[in-house]
Amino acid sequence: MAKLKMKTVRIIALRQDRKRLLEHLQDSGLVQITKSEKSREGFKRVNMSPQMQVFERNVELTERTLKILDDISPEKAGMLASFKGRRVVDPDDIGVIAANAQEVIETCTRIAGLDKQCSDNDAEQLRIKTQLAQLEAWNTLDIPLNCTGTKSTAVFIGTLPEVYSEQRLKQALAAENPALEFALEIVHTEANTTNVVVIAPISQKTMADDALRALGFARPMSPTHKIPKEKAERLRAKSRQLTEENEQAKKEIAGYTEMRERIKETQDYFRFRADKYNVINHLDHTKHVFVIEGYVPEEDCETLEALCSRVATCAVEFGEAGDDAPVKLKNNKFAEPAQGILTMYSPPGKTDIDPTPLLAFFFYFFFGMMFSDAGYGILMIIATGLMIKIFKPDKKMRNNLKLFQYCGISTTIWGLVFGSFFGDAPAAIYNMFTGSDVVMAHSISNMNDTTRALMPMPVIDPQKDALTLMIISIAFGLVHILVGMGCKFVICWKQKDYAGAFFDTGLWMLMLIGFAVLAAGLITTPVLVTVGAVIAIACAVGLVLTQGRGKKGIVGKAIGGVASLYDITSYISDLLSYSRLLALGLTTGVMAQVFNMLSTMMGTNVLGIVFMILIFIIGHLINIGLNALGAYVHTMRLQYVEMFSKFYEGGGKEFEPFTLNSKYIKLQEDK
Amino acid sequence: MNGVFLAILGAAIATVLAGIGSAKGVGSAAQTSMGVLSENPSMFGKMLVLTLLPGTQGLYGFIVGFLILVSSGVLSGAPTVTMAQGFAYAGASLAIGFGGLFSGIAQGKAAVSGIAMTAKDEKNFSKGMVSVTLVEIYALLAFIVSLLVVIQVPNFAA
Repeated sequence: MAKLKMKTVRIIALRQDRKRLLEHLQDSGLVQITKSEKSREGFKRVNMSPQMQVFERNVELTERTLKILDDISPEKAGMLASFKGRRVVDPDDIGVIAANAQEVIETCTRIAGLDKQCSDNDAEQLRIKTQLAQLEAWNTLDIPLNCTGTKSTAVFIGTLPEVYSEQRLKQALAAENPALEFALEIVHTEANTTNVVVIAPISQKTMADDALRALGFARPMSPTHKIPKEKAERLRAKSRQLTEENEQAKKEIAGYTEMRERIKETQDYFRFRADKYNVINHLDHTKHVFVIEGYVPEEDCETLEALCSRVATCAVEFGEAGDDAPVKLKNNKFAEPAQGILTMYSPPGKTDIDPTPLLAFFFYFFFGMMFSDAGYGILMIIATGLMIKIFKPDKKMRNNLKLFQYCGISTTIWGLVFGSFFGDAPAAIYNMFTGSDVVMAHSISNMNDTTRALMPMPVIDPQKDALTLMIISIAFGLVHILVGMGCKFVICWKQKDYAGAFFDTGLWMLMLIGFAVLAAGLITTPVLVTVGAVIAIACAVGLVLTQGRGKKGIVGKAIGGVASLYDITSYISDLLSYSRLLALGLTTGVMAQVFNMLSTMMGTNVLGIVFMILIFIIGHLINIGLNALGAYVHTMRLQYVEMFSKFYEGGGKEFEPFTLNSKYIKLQEDK
Repeated sequence: MNGVFLAILGAAIATVLAGIGSAKGVGSAAQTSMGVLSENPSMFGKMLVLTLLPGTQGLYGFIVGFLILVSSGVLSGAPTVTMAQGFAYAGASLAIGFGGLFSGIAQGKAAVSGIAMTAKDEKNFSKGMVSVTLVEIYALLAFIVSLLVVIQVPNFAA
C-alpha cells in the first residue's frame, strides 16, 4: 500500500543483558541498527574485533571447504536448484549446531589440510616430471652423474651445445689441444645438444677442462650421486606414491560429503555471530549500560518494546524519524511481487509516494499485451505455480515467480483477445490432418468473413488490424502517462505546492486529454474536434502564462512560458514509444505462426508427426525465450522511462534490519 | 510481367540487412559478456539479457520478410504480385532493413557499455538495460513503417 512510517528508537540497557537482548533483536529482525563510526562524549567503544575475526575466519574456512567438496564430489543439483529456498531449521537446533560447531570446524580444517597436501603433491609431481625428462637423456649411462674421476682419471660428464658424432668430437678436441689424451663416449644426441662422457688422465685434468670449456661444455644442472637409471626409477616410485597419497586424500575428502549440510549450517551459525559482534563494535558503552540506536517501522514499535522489556532491564524510547530514514514498503498480495521491480530502479525517496500498486497493474497489463499468447500464458501460470509448490523458494524468489504468474494470467487474457494459442497452432494442426482451411478467428475488421473459424468471437488480429492496435496501444500509453502525471499531481498537492500541481502537471494533463479528444473526433464526429481543440488551446495559453512564473521580468516570464510548450515533443515521443506494445505482440504471434508452419510441413505420416512434435516443441521454446525476455525488458522500460520520469524521484535507502542473515538455513518462525 | 522478384527482393533486404545489424550487435555484446563471465560466471543471467537486447532487429526484419512472403502469395505457391505492388514491397523493406542494420550496430555498442557497467556493480543492471533499450525505439519505428505498408499492399490497385 505504501511506505511504512518509520520511527527512530533508542534502547538503553544494562551491559549484563547485552548478549540476550542482541540475540533476541537479531532473531526478531525488527530494528535497523545505526552504525556510527565514532562514539559520543562520555561513552566508549568495546573492541570485539578479535572475536569477530575468529568467526569470519571460520566462515571463510567453511566456504573454502564447501568449494573443495564441490570439486571432488559435486553436489547433485538440478538446473532449477537455484530456485530452491533455504532449508528450514527449528530454532532449538541452533543450540545443537553451536555445540557441534567445533567438531565441524575441525573437520573443515582436516579437509582444507588434505586439499593443501594434494596441491603440494601436485607441485612435487611436476618437479619430478621435469627431473625425469632431464634424466631421460642419460638413460644409458652406467656411472653416477656427479662422478668427477677416479684415482688416475678425470671424468667429465655433461652436455655440449652442438650435435657431434664421436669422430667429429675427437677431431674438435684434438684441434683445441693436440697434446690432450682422452677417451670419450657419446651417450645421447638431440637437437643442438650432445650428452657426452670424456675421460682423461688425472694429470691432464686442467687441459681437458679448458679444451672442453672452449667447446661449450657444461655439467648437468642437478647431478646425482646415483646411476641415472636408478635415480629415474626412484623418482617414478616417488611419483607413484604421491599419486596414491592424493587418491587417498581425495577419497577421504569424498568421505566427508555427508558433512556438507552440517558445514553449511555451521557456516551460517558463525555468520550470525560475526554479525552480532560487528554490531557490538558499533555500540556506545559506559561502565554499566550500553545504547542501541536505530530505526523501526511504527507498526512494530509495540512488539519491540514488549520484546525488550521481556528479555532485558532497559529503557526504550521512540522518536520521529527524519528525512534520511530508511524505507520499508508494504503491499498487498497483488502488488507485492512488483516491489522488486521498483527497488531495482530505486527505493522511493523522502517525498515519493509508493507507486507499487500502479506499477504492478501496468506491469502485468503491458507484459501480457506484448507476450500475448494464451498457450504461453497458461504454461507460465503452471510452471511458476509448480516451482512455488515444489521448491518452496525464499521470499524474494517467490515474489519473482509470483510476478511471472500474474503476468501469465494477463498473457492468457491478451492471447484470447488476439486469438493466439501457441500462435495459430489449433488451426494449423487441424488443417494439417483434415486438409481443410479453417482460421483461428475472424478479425474485427473483417467480421463477415465466411471461412470457418475455431474461436466463436472476433479477435483483434495484430497482423490484419495493425493500425487499430497501434491506436489502442498509444491510447493505453496515454492512460499510463496520465496516471504517472496524476501521481505527480498528488505529490505536489501533499507538499502544498498547489501551483506546481495545477500549472505544471494539471495543465499538461488537460492538454493531453484535449489532444486525445481531438484525435477521437477525427474518427467520429467533428464536434469532438472542436471541443478537443478548444481544450488544447486553452491549456496552451495557460501554460504560456504560468510556466515562466519562476523567471524575473516580463520578458523572462514570456520566454519561459513559450519555451515550455516545446515539451510537447517529449510527450509525443513518449506516446509513440508505446507502439512497441503492437510490435512485440505481433512478433510473438508471427514467430509462433512461422514455427507452426514449419512443423506441419512434413505431412501426416508417422515421420511427419514425429517431426511436427519435435519442431513444435523446439520452436515454441525458442519463441517463449526470446519474446518473454523482450516483453520483460520493454515493459520495464515503459515503466522506468515513460512513467517514472513523470513523477518518481527515488534515491531512498532500503530498510535493512539487524537480522539472521543466512545463506543456507532459515529459522522456523513459531509465533 | 509481374513483381514477384521485387517482392522476394524486399523480403531478402528486410531479413538480411536487419539480420546483419543484429548479428554485429549481438556479436560484440557477446564477446564482452564472455570476458566478464570468465571472471564472474554467476552473472550469466544478467549478461544474457544484455547480450540479447540487440537481437530484436533481426527478428523484426525476419517478420517483415515473412509477412511479405505470405501476403505476396510466394509461400502458398501462387504469387500474384503486380509490378507496382512489387515496388511497394521492396520500398517497405528498406525501412526495417536499414533501420535494423544501423540501430542493431548502435545498440550493440550500447550493450557493450551496459555490460561493462554491470560488471563493475550488479546494481547498475537495470539502468544499463533501460539505457540500451532507448536505442530500440528507432528499430521499432522502422519496423512499424514497414509493417503498415506491407499489410496494406494487397489492397493496392494494380
